[in-house]
Amino acid sequence: MRLNIILPVKILVVEDESKLAAALKAGLEESHYSVRVAHSGEEGFFLANREVFDLIVLDVMLPGRDGFEILGTLRQRGFKNPVLFLTARDAVQDRVAGLDLGADDYLVKPFAFPELLARIRVLLRRGVIDGPTRFELADLEMDMVRRVVVRSGKAVALTAREFEILAYLFRHQGQVVSREMLARDIWSETSRQVPLDNVIDVNIARLRRKVDDQFADKLVHTVRGVGFVLREGVSS
Amino acid sequence: MILYWHLRSQLYRYMVVDLETVEGLLYYNANRELQLHEDYYSHPESKNVQERLLEVITPTGEVLFRNDKLAHRSLGGPPLSGEGEVGYLQRSVRLSDGTRVFMVSHSHLLNGQPMIIRVAYARGLISGSIAETLAAFAFSLPIVLIITALVGYGLAKRALDPLGKMAARADQITAERLNERLPVDDTGEIGQVAHAFNDTLARLEQSFGQLKRFTSDASHELRTPLTLIRSVGEVGLQTDRTQEEYREIIGSMLEEVNRLSGLVDSLLTISRADAGETELCTVVFPAVDAVREAASLIEILAEEKDQKLLLGGDENALVLADRLLLRQALLNILHNAVKYSPPGGSISAIVLRGSASVFVDVSDTGAGIPDKDRTRVFDRFYRVDQARSREAGGVGLGLSIAKWAIQVQGGDIHVLNNPDRGCTFRIELPLHSPSAQSAKKNAPEPQSLPAV
Repeated sequence: MRLNIILPVKILVVEDESKLAAALKAGLEESHYSVRVAHSGEEGFFLANREVFDLIVLDVMLPGRDGFEILGTLRQRGFKNPVLFLTARDAVQDRVAGLDLGADDYLVKPFAFPELLARIRVLLRRGVIDGPTRFELADLEMDMVRRVVVRSGKAVALTAREFEILAYLFRHQGQVVSREMLARDIWSETSRQVPLDNVIDVNIARLRRKVDDQFADKLVHTVRGVGFVLREGVSS
Repeated sequence: MILYWHLRSQLYRYMVVDLETVEGLLYYNANRELQLHEDYYSHPESKNVQERLLEVITPTGEVLFRNDKLAHRSLGGPPLSGEGEVGYLQRSVRLSDGTRVFMVSHSHLLNGQPMIIRVAYARGLISGSIAETLAAFAFSLPIVLIITALVGYGLAKRALDPLGKMAARADQITAERLNERLPVDDTGEIGQVAHAFNDTLARLEQSFGQLKRFTSDASHELRTPLTLIRSVGEVGLQTDRTQEEYREIIGSMLEEVNRLSGLVDSLLTISRADAGETELCTVVFPAVDAVREAASLIEILAEEKDQKLLLGGDENALVLADRLLLRQALLNILHNAVKYSPPGGSISAIVLRGSASVFVDVSDTGAGIPDKDRTRVFDRFYRVDQARSREAGGVGLGLSIAKWAIQVQGGDIHVLNNPDRGCTFRIELPLHSPSAQSAKKNAPEPQSLPAV
């Protein structure tokens, strides 16, 4: 008999703001990651040396030490795994600086937690070709190759945009997808546009009408204030 | 030392003149003796003349005349060969009684008799002269310096006094008291400086005023979502609630947080715009492309309200612009048009080409904008109808950002006078003409004239 021991993914969070650190730790642990928190750059080095981490979430707005400095040093000291940095500055040069110094991705504060989760997932999945050809949830089926969506055996006619949104929701199945994520990944809009939020809402509403309206089991849910999620819901 | 040489050369010149004078004063008396007219006392330097030592000798050394001052002393001894024949020879000579003299000699012809005239002055005179001069200097110099200093100081003070006054006034002008101005007393350069300074103050005052208003308005706008978050949260905690209710409460708070984030983003955009920190990425493209891109984003919203969206215009009207910024401006305007037009209305976005400009006219069939608001509509935080707009999700920054986005590219935007209902926003950008001197002569001119 072979024991398959799946070790939880270990994430190091370097964040000096204790409320945020606690929230991140709790949120990540709820997503089944193992989390250690360092409240300063030095503590971060110490922990990174002592234990093996699969990913580091680094706030570059740390007091005293320049967060980017820490990033550079972490890389120099041989940390090879993904680093995602959090910054409040969204100027291009700050983002580029971080990526140049060896970060793999970044998030601008304030960020939606689901987005942090999504990006962490992507970073951890690097190298794995993703792109399932079929998605399935309850009686909803989606064929990516033939571009066909079927629920309960009946075809659902979606516009190209609606199809993309559904595919995105399926890829993040069970996880909340924020409007920002949709704006960025489906509409390729980087600025937070008010008109776009409305556009997204309308698209989701239409998608829901087509996919959920006639069925008792609602699959496309709105999590107020956070975003949308595709999952089997409690029939209301 | 310089003084010595200066005085020495002065003495030389004087002695030359003296010698020439003597030349004119020599005469032979009845006894065929050489005499000198000595009643020449009107010359101002006659005092010195008394010190003159004069000797006249023949080229062979025979003494023809010696003045009283010289008496029987020999002035310079036998003549040097060629003494004084060419120009005036100056020598330092020591008399038999030890007196050191400066001597100048020159040859002369009188009544057929060649002679050498020697004029000399005791060196002591020079030293004395030097001493005198130095004394005069030493005495007067400090006095002169002091007087010059006083006068100079007085003059400068008077000249700079107005500047001093200005500086003192300027010191008092702080950010709180920018409405003060410097007194402009004269029309000269100082007056010009005062005027320039006052102009700068006026501009600063205006900028500060704008900044204060903006900060104040922004703070008020930030307060609204903050208040909502707080109230919803506090009320939520007042009693025990169901899980579902808590979810609703937290969700509602998060919605407001999103609104706040959007507001902060807009504010950041504006402050960056104010600081001139924007880098434009300009490309050449048909303006109508940006219109189509913006429209495709919001067309679904128009669909929801059963509104017709009409696009079109000159496909060849090119602009050299930042595509993203232009699209953002168009998005704001189109979104407004959709928001404030009634269901079933229609919205149009047409590109027109003028002789040097490209116009994009966005018209709707909504309620229109009252005359008094036509320019104010681009002010920050301005909303025509306060109550209605806030619900529609606006905060009043969209149009001011749109205006900045256009103006920073060299264009302009304003509201046109619409005879029918609704309103028309006109964006104007410089027309980009490719190197070929194109210009279709029959390029359509825009039909309505922009209102001011």
